[in-house]
Amino acid sequence: MKKILFIILSFALFTACERKIDEFQVSKGNADFTRYIAVGNSMMAGYADGALYKTGQSYSIPNIIANQLQLAGSGKFVQPVVNSEFGVEFNGSGPRFVLGPSVACDGSVSLGPIPYIGARDPLQPVGYPVNNLGIPGAKSFHLFAPGYGNPAFLIPPVHANPYYFRFCSEPTNPNFMVIDEFPKLNPTFFTEWLGDNDVLSYAISGGVGDSITSPDFFGHVMSGVLQALTANGAKGVIANIPDITSIPFFTTIPYNGIVLTRQTLVDSVNYFMQNLFQLPFIYKLGPNPFLVADPTSTHPLFKVRMMKPGELVLLSVPQDSLKCYGMGIISRITYTPWGIPSQYVLTEDEINNIKEATVSYNQLIKGLADAYEIGMVDMNSKLVELQKGIIWDGVSMNTKFVTGGAFSLDGIHLNPRGCAVAANYFIDAINKQYGSTIPQVDITAYPGVIYP
Amino acid sequence: MRRITFLLLFLCLAATTSFGGGYQVGLHSMRNIGMGLIGTSLSYDASSLFYNPGGAAFVNEKWSFSGGVSFLMARTTFQAKDVNYQAHLKHQINTPLYFYAAFKPTPNLSVGLAVNTPYGNGLSWGNDWKGRYLIQDLKFSAFTFQPTVSYKFKDIIGIGVGLVYAYGSVDLNKAIPLQGSTGDGTLNIKGSTGNFGFNAGLMVHPVKGLSIGVDYRSKIQMKVKGATATFTVPTSLKTLFPDNKVDVMLPLPANLDFGASYEFGQDKQWMIGINLCYVFWNTYDSLVFDFETKTSAVSRTATPALYENKLIPRIGVQYKLSDLITLRVGGYYDPSPVKDDYLNPQTPSMNQIGMTCGISIFPVKGLSIDAAFLYIMGSERSGTYSPDNFAGTYKNAVYNPGIGLTYNF
Repeated sequence: MKKILFIILSFALFTACERKIDEFQVSKGNADFTRYIAVGNSMMAGYADGALYKTGQSYSIPNIIANQLQLAGSGKFVQPVVNSEFGVEFNGSGPRFVLGPSVACDGSVSLGPIPYIGARDPLQPVGYPVNNLGIPGAKSFHLFAPGYGNPAFLIPPVHANPYYFRFCSEPTNPNFMVIDEFPKLNPTFFTEWLGDNDVLSYAISGGVGDSITSPDFFGHVMSGVLQALTANGAKGVIANIPDITSIPFFTTIPYNGIVLTRQTLVDSVNYFMQNLFQLPFIYKLGPNPFLVADPTSTHPLFKVRMMKPGELVLLSVPQDSLKCYGMGIISRITYTPWGIPSQYVLTEDEINNIKEATVSYNQLIKGLADAYEIGMVDMNSKLVELQKGIIWDGVSMNTKFVTGGAFSLDGIHLNPRGCAVAANYFIDAINKQYGSTIPQVDITAYPGVIYP
Repeated sequence: MRRITFLLLFLCLAATTSFGGGYQVGLHSMRNIGMGLIGTSLSYDASSLFYNPGGAAFVNEKWSFSGGVSFLMARTTFQAKDVNYQAHLKHQINTPLYFYAAFKPTPNLSVGLAVNTPYGNGLSWGNDWKGRYLIQDLKFSAFTFQPTVSYKFKDIIGIGVGLVYAYGSVDLNKAIPLQGSTGDGTLNIKGSTGNFGFNAGLMVHPVKGLSIGVDYRSKIQMKVKGATATFTVPTSLKTLFPDNKVDVMLPLPANLDFGASYEFGQDKQWMIGINLCYVFWNTYDSLVFDFETKTSAVSRTATPALYENKLIPRIGVQYKLSDLITLRVGGYYDPSPVKDDYLNPQTPSMNQIGMTCGISIFPVKGLSIDAAFLYIMGSERSGTYSPDNFAGTYKNAVYNPGIGLTYNF
């Protein structure tokens, strides 16, 4: 009987090995990923938390995609590496943010983005050719701007881009354009996500400091970019433009942030507004709309109006002024109505301008994707989904600032986990268009918001 | 021959190992395990107390003791959907136990106590795997203590009923997708509880050699009151995740088992038996965690499970080679109670086919050494736990050698 037991036990040990499942089978379909390049703006560059810094850049969407394409024969993917965790130094570059306790003017402490300051990379050429041509701040037509990487044009009046200067292959050539990089790199495959800034720059300026690229011009330029990219037969995918008014930079501060908690306060505000200032604004207990500057007002003294539902206050608004000094209601210094300045607000008209342009851009992008027979990533729909809330592997994400888990601390760009999700959307589009089987990435392997 | 001694009587209990359908464990007597886990119509030793209290009175000897242990080893591999990612369940051995003691004060009456582990689950995927926000590791087991009386009328009908006290404990770890400088937050839940149920059975011997049994074991609602919930989160979020107590609800499903067995051949050398075991899994609707101190981040959560009732057919054959050795073989089909869109790495349940063999050796009269081996064939199943959008393919195999002793006298 010992023998039998022995046989049973050895059978158990013999068979006690791992169960084998077929591994994911990678194939390149009818695409050639040998030389992959990425074209776009800050979204592609890996810009996050208000800066282009080392770690953020390493999690850029194209870098994540490239790692997967390398499983299907893609070569080395070179980025214009930033070595500092604090960003790149040039006139006008802001600090990188981290999450930390910030003390407001009223003494209250809350968790929010705080500047993370340290030695930044000096602005100088990296000195090697790169595959990631993501240029923070670039609009579509900047790819045709002569001398866009020329340092001579970085002094006012500026019409070059410091981030492009870092990797421009001919920085001293005043006629050299971004699209001139393409033949030098001779790509076999590309991803392009360009055009957000054609509406975003306008939006970030509150609709007063920049302009929206006309759809006609946009279509012309984008067609030119795709023509240049595909000139030698390269294949690729293009992403369309999300509705940027739903990102946290525009949705975090409510239009009705004046919260009145006592009736006596409501009465006195109403008295001030209606009797003293002769303004027809009615305040109630609870949340009330901010006042916003309104140059078209017919009031002789106070050019303000109440914000309407749906209008947006930008995250760049001076928060201390809102919290402690009466911006958006009555100034605590002059005791007169104080509207939020226009550059911190998107009005109904401005929002409509953005949405209309985005719809037009996306029709053009769809048409171009079909015409050039390349894949398309519908980022516009994906952002709508994110707004409602998505979940991957038990990680819930939405468009809320910080807690939403997908956006970085500037409220505009994605954090690494958000970039991983976006990279998966690109990979899906590649697989769909070219019959390849490129594996997605495990989004849980990418960091989200880091809490102190 | 003292046939009483062997045979299994046993069981049916639905189910499976921690890796079969859900979290029921069917390993309650080596003799039964050897015969495909059947038992409702068998009455050869004190394990009848569990498998069918109606059968305990049919055990001939005045005293019967049976005890044993299984060494349950599951090998499970996970392949993520659309991602080149695989994970393996950490190797560990779970050891379901049983012990039964029965005494017959009169020839028709039997009283006894059954102690075993009809429910449980223990697995560990590791701290850093892709599904860590669903589960890292889990230990859950329920011991039952069942005092039982059994009475037979003539040698034809036996009835029995037992009061079941279940003592369960749970210890689980999962990651929380809120990251600090040292990585993910985590949640540990640890607690125990007890509750009552019953086990009632009927056995009929209508003609010589034929035995038919029906057994019903009630559902037992396990509600862990005030389990310890320990959150490890970044300092700035600590107020949102205070140290906490949590109520955890997990039902142990009811089982209705039907079994029939027939002895034949010279000296009844042969026996064949079948079981149909119906498990009322639909009571497991969701796993509920209700935290005592509620914040905007921590409240009552219900993780949907939506299990479906399942019928498990089993078959077993026994052959008495000699007075010294009895051999057994069996098999069953255990359909998963889990729907494709609720396939969860917490309990990666699959349809499975179990194959068993066993042996009893009688060194002296009345005493047997019982050994059995259960092998659950590597099945493969793809699914998504849709509430968490966690998708992939699981493949497993289970190896379960076990050994026990039975003494009837």
